[in-house]
Amino acid sequence: MRRSLIRAGMAVLGVPALAFAAEGAANSGGWIGPFTVIAAGLGMAIASGLCGLGQGRAVAAAVEAMGRQPGAAARIQTAMIIGLALIESLAIYMLVIGIILLFVQPIK
Amino acid sequence: MEIIEHPPIFRLPGVFWPGYVPDHVTYTWLVMIILTVLAFVASRRVELVPRGAQNALEVVLEQFQQLIDDVIGHEGRPYLPLIATLGLFILTGNLLALVPGLAGPTTNLNTTAACALVVFCAYHYIGIRKHGPITYLKHFMGPVPWWLKGPMFVIEMISHLARPLSLTLRLFGNMLGGHILLAMMFFLMGLDGLIGWALSGSAAGVVLGGLGGGLMVAFTVGFIYPLKILVSFLQAFIFVMLTMLYISGAVEGHEAEHH
Repeated sequence: MRRSLIRAGMAVLGVPALAFAAEGAANSGGWIGPFTVIAAGLGMAIASGLCGLGQGRAVAAAVEAMGRQPGAAARIQTAMIIGLALIESLAIYMLVIGIILLFVQPIK
Repeated sequence: MEIIEHPPIFRLPGVFWPGYVPDHVTYTWLVMIILTVLAFVASRRVELVPRGAQNALEVVLEQFQQLIDDVIGHEGRPYLPLIATLGLFILTGNLLALVPGLAGPTTNLNTTAACALVVFCAYHYIGIRKHGPITYLKHFMGPVPWWLKGPMFVIEMISHLARPLSLTLRLFGNMLGGHILLAMMFFLMGLDGLIGWALSGSAAGVVLGGLGGGLMVAFTVGFIYPLKILVSFLQAFIFVMLTMLYISGAVEGHEAEHH
């Protein structure tokens, strides 16, 4: 009785391990795989957060300038949009790196 | 990448190789056909008082010309075909990706890299033809004392080489990022998501899944689609704007830095 219980327990505990092993073999995954997910998520969070701070400063300055000189609003707005695009591209680089880490998976 | 990509409804079988023509190539041709037909219809019977398609395209091209006059000045007029073609191609490609069942050419790195390389070669060619090779190379050194000219040249070279990279990745990343966002929303809604739960027949599933699915549909259609249309216009505008800034930098040469 007890021996069969132990066998059943071993089987229950063993099946997920086998499943993990099979899955790992299917993905040909080493231990780096999960860390790429963490790296992509953390990197995107840091990049988009800091990018938001930078864009906020830029927009605040542009809106202040537009308030002081409404006549130059159109030119300030154009300059602001170009600046925002340049700031945003830094976060976009991280997005591309994240996409490569998650979907292309050069390092497994 | 195959996880988040869906096959579009229309694919061309490859003639010279097994499988299909890559989707971005097929849909680049679709964009070309759309623009050609539009231009043909608009210019078939050119009238002094424009009507219909001719009127619409004239408004669009006048906007481009206004933008060029503002950024480059009147000497930028000859570059209107290059700039307007890039802008219309990118805008149409961006908007095509939003039609369900079609693929967008600008969501592929190859298309955006091709556009950025065209810009890179074009503005150097324009600058060299305007100033001659020696003067054009000198303007990389900038208005600095002689002992700074060497490092300045290296820095300018790196910044010029980074321009096509940033143009490419900005357009590609913005478009693909939006599509991944849409894909996530559709996965949440999809048959193994909220709508699938609502269709499964259980009472809780019908109430919660139906409510959640409805909310998600409203959120997608009411918020993400308008946002993506805005981003499509904005990215085309930014690409064109940066192209014009690069051309204006190449045309002005080093006189511009003194005033």
